Amino acid sequence: MSVPPVPQCGFAPLPRTDTAERIATPTVPYWTDVWRRLRANRPALAGLVFIVVLIFTAIFGPMLSPFSYYEQNLRLSNIPPILRPYTVTGEDGSQERFFLNSGNFALYGITEDGRMTDILRGKADMLNRRTTYDIAGRDVVVDYKSLPVSVSIDDSIALPGGRVWNRTYLFGTDQLGRDVLVRQMYGARISLLVAFVATLVNFFIGVAWGGVAGYAGGAVDTAMMRIVEVIATIPLTLYVILIMVFLDSGLTSIVIAIGTVFWVDMARIVRGQILTLKQSDYVAAARTMGAGPVRIITRHLLPNTIGPILVTLTMLIPSAIFIESFMSFIGLGVTPPLASWGTLTSNAVETMRSYPHQLFFPAAALSLTMFAFNFLGDGLRDALDPRLRK
Amino acid sequence: MTLLSVQGLQSEFRTARGVVKAVRGVDLTVAAGEVLGIVGESGSGKSVTCMSILKLLKRQGHITAGKALFQGRDLLTLSEAQLSDIRGDEIAVIFQDPMSSLNPTLTVGAQVIEVILRHRKVSRAQARARAVELFDLVRIPAAESRVDAYPHEFSGGMRQRAMIAMALACDPKLLIADEPTTALDVTIQRQILTLLKDIQARMGMAMILITHDLGVIAETCDRVCVMYGGLVMEEAPVKALFARPSHPYTRGLLAAVPDLRDGMRQRLSPIPGSPPDMADPPPGCPFAPRCPAAMVHCVAERPPLFIATDTPRLGGGQSARCWLMHPDAPEVSP
Amino acid sequence: MTGAAIRALPWGWFLRRLALMAVTLWVIITLTFFMMHAVPGGPFVSERMMAPEIAAALDAKWGLSDPLWQQYLNYLRGILRFDLGPSFKYPGVSVNEMIADGLAVTARTGLLAVLCVVAVGVPLGIAAALNRGRWPDTGVMMLATIGVAVPSYVIATVMLYVFALRLGWVPTFGLDDWRGYILPVIALAGFWVSFVARLTRSSLLETLDQDYMTTARAKGLRRRQILIRHGLRNSLIPVVTVLGPVVANLLTGSFVIEQIFALPGIGRHFVLSITNRDYTAIMGITIFYAAFLILMILIVDILYLWLDPRIRAGAKA
Repeated sequence: MSVPPVPQCGFAPLPRTDTAERIATPTVPYWTDVWRRLRANRPALAGLVFIVVLIFTAIFGPMLSPFSYYEQNLRLSNIPPILRPYTVTGEDGSQERFFLNSGNFALYGITEDGRMTDILRGKADMLNRRTTYDIAGRDVVVDYKSLPVSVSIDDSIALPGGRVWNRTYLFGTDQLGRDVLVRQMYGARISLLVAFVATLVNFFIGVAWGGVAGYAGGAVDTAMMRIVEVIATIPLTLYVILIMVFLDSGLTSIVIAIGTVFWVDMARIVRGQILTLKQSDYVAAARTMGAGPVRIITRHLLPNTIGPILVTLTMLIPSAIFIESFMSFIGLGVTPPLASWGTLTSNAVETMRSYPHQLFFPAAALSLTMFAFNFLGDGLRDALDPRLRK
Repeated sequence: MTLLSVQGLQSEFRTARGVVKAVRGVDLTVAAGEVLGIVGESGSGKSVTCMSILKLLKRQGHITAGKALFQGRDLLTLSEAQLSDIRGDEIAVIFQDPMSSLNPTLTVGAQVIEVILRHRKVSRAQARARAVELFDLVRIPAAESRVDAYPHEFSGGMRQRAMIAMALACDPKLLIADEPTTALDVTIQRQILTLLKDIQARMGMAMILITHDLGVIAETCDRVCVMYGGLVMEEAPVKALFARPSHPYTRGLLAAVPDLRDGMRQRLSPIPGSPPDMADPPPGCPFAPRCPAAMVHCVAERPPLFIATDTPRLGGGQSARCWLMHPDAPEVSP
Repeated sequence: MTGAAIRALPWGWFLRRLALMAVTLWVIITLTFFMMHAVPGGPFVSERMMAPEIAAALDAKWGLSDPLWQQYLNYLRGILRFDLGPSFKYPGVSVNEMIADGLAVTARTGLLAVLCVVAVGVPLGIAAALNRGRWPDTGVMMLATIGVAVPSYVIATVMLYVFALRLGWVPTFGLDDWRGYILPVIALAGFWVSFVARLTRSSLLETLDQDYMTTARAKGLRRRQILIRHGLRNSLIPVVTVLGPVVANLLTGSFVIEQIFALPGIGRHFVLSITNRDYTAIMGITIFYAAFLILMILIVDILYLWLDPRIRAGAKA
């Protein structure tokens, strides 16, 4: 090798700096770090935002709505969320708009932007299966002798023009003429109530049960976990069904039923965590320093199980919401006139052929909520995973 | 005769933090029957160098430049299928952690037998007999019955013996031992090392022994490479290295090891500072920020590997990557 | 199997397991019995609000005039003889007959669904893991997210609407021809196919990162050998452990799926008994389910034992 030339000044000693002791990356507090990673995860953040919006809608939505979830009006049944308006021009040039409800062949007056003004009254001709209305001085005839129903204005067949969103009933109405939107919002209340109860039960029974079993160990642990094992052998759904049969359907019953059995997964996870942590060196260190059991549990064990507890919660909440809607769907959940997403879906199945929109809204609400919790749970798990922490 | 010759090897890991340049141009040669020691701190690139030779880097690892000529064939240009014919047959590897390097769901014997069946045309019964023979060779007691045991039924030392048996299964010409004793108890470490040295001498195979323990090097190796910051800092016959270390880093390493022959009066002097962040290595000599003899030019340009013929400051067979070796550089007393 | 190999099996563990399962089943039987007994107007009260022939059948079976504990013992005795008693609502029909009637349908759809879970979920997960970060991975994960998030009955009704009502590709109900099976099986298996695909993917990815996989490569094994012998075997262990819950949840899933597609299976009978307040049927079917699930869990445990020698060692200890 030929020796490379080096300028003579290059051989001067390097002035000392403290760079050698510089710490490469600044330390970040754990939860700040978790939050930063969670925020960077788009689906998880979207899920979180969705859940927050859902909570606000469920709490305040029904207060803002002019409709109630129980008031029925059969003359307003099955109104779609998207209307196809007919326009009648009067002799004085004034225009009136109306739409036809293909469910009950009735006509409703609407404004240009889709607000419903009134239920139009016509002369029914049962024999010829037609109803005649007087709108803006013209004869409007709804002929339902043969389907599809035809509408004629002054004896010429009229066709609806364009589409307009129903501004009065944004999601339409159900078979009994109730506003679907407000019932959906009450459904959200039920789902969130169930989620809240599941969370509470998980914290108070699940965490305590698992924590005590894990910390106490020995015979106590064996006995406590045997009970959990027996409960967990058959699906929680089956217990919930049995309890519902026993208690009779209703909101209180479903809350009690879910509360009774929904803590076993949490108990298992917390116990597993506590068992591992108990053997960790830092707990041994704390014990050598003379820390008592309460201090060890509250200062060392629980804070370090918060991550898995949170992740388990975001997995259990959707499953609780699902069980409630499932129960309601098979007719074992909340009782009418109360509406849960499950009952809304199951009612909509009956009329699915004619009014698919009634199926769409509760199905979408439930699915989106499930997505939101799943994304949040996945994101949280990734954000909390210490193996990814660098 | 040169068995393996690594030239200008560069490897990097693409991580979330950025590209970590783990190996930045390494040259090595291993002669047949020779034991080459590679020593360095963790993160110096010594393991990555050896894993690169067989293209065994994990998912994010990539080899970006260089050659690895094994008996004249460049391993880095071979296909995965061609390479797999060489792995386990002509070149075998022993890993650091025998706890995680054995498959927990297969018997240890099955894991030895599968290498033999892969590379040799023998029957299952013959392969099994060979496995028992290998277990005897690595001094696993009751070899005949232990062949059917699962890894969890073995102690750490026994597992490492099983790993060695697996590596020796096809009489490799080159054995790469990646910190084979680090994960073991101190008493077991010596046994395993003696065993390795013993078998190496008996079978006449070449060995690359990766370690961060200079004591291991002194006892086992013929030649030593000292690595730091993804580069070979010094290479020398083992006696020369201990007698006359030329690189300040090597001197630092030696000063950090207790030498009991000196009695208890000796003070250990750790090297101040921490290894460079390989995602953003310093432009000049990677050791310069911690080097007690650093010069202005050290941070400006990466020093070349000086060899004995370049400079009077190096003995025969010795080479060092340090500007102090430059004939014009001031003499620094060790 | 040689005598030594049989002796080497963890018999103690197996017996303990059996005992625990028997206790579990007994707890569930007792629980359901006393719960149904406490229901006002339930089957074990003497106020006769039921058809006289049913009252007579119940009385003959369990002796309604006997004290409660006697009835309970009678009931247990019946179960030991696999006799779940008469229906509370349909004169002359026994719960055994109801179960036998629905079993074929439920078993057929359930089996197909389990097959789907294993034959579709596992390969999808493997494909995703082996193509990590590329389009097959993204695609599978997207599908799996939908499958996990959207409730089965929503998937079922939406599919029913689109494929049966709108497009008319498949019948809306019944299993008269093979196309009738498509939607129920997809609806039933959808969640678990997705779940198993996700689990297989993450498990295989974790396994691929293990040191022993590098060892396998260092030994020069062929790619297929490495993947199957070392990768899959280890990564399928967690997948096998969820197969028990899979079967359990396919059962509960069948309650609603059988209702939506009007399939005359056990799930439909169960839901019908609930709405009919056919207490003896509710009780009998619950116990049947519980017994079946416990059996499944035992089978999965044995499978697990066979796959993982570490567990075998733990079980023997």
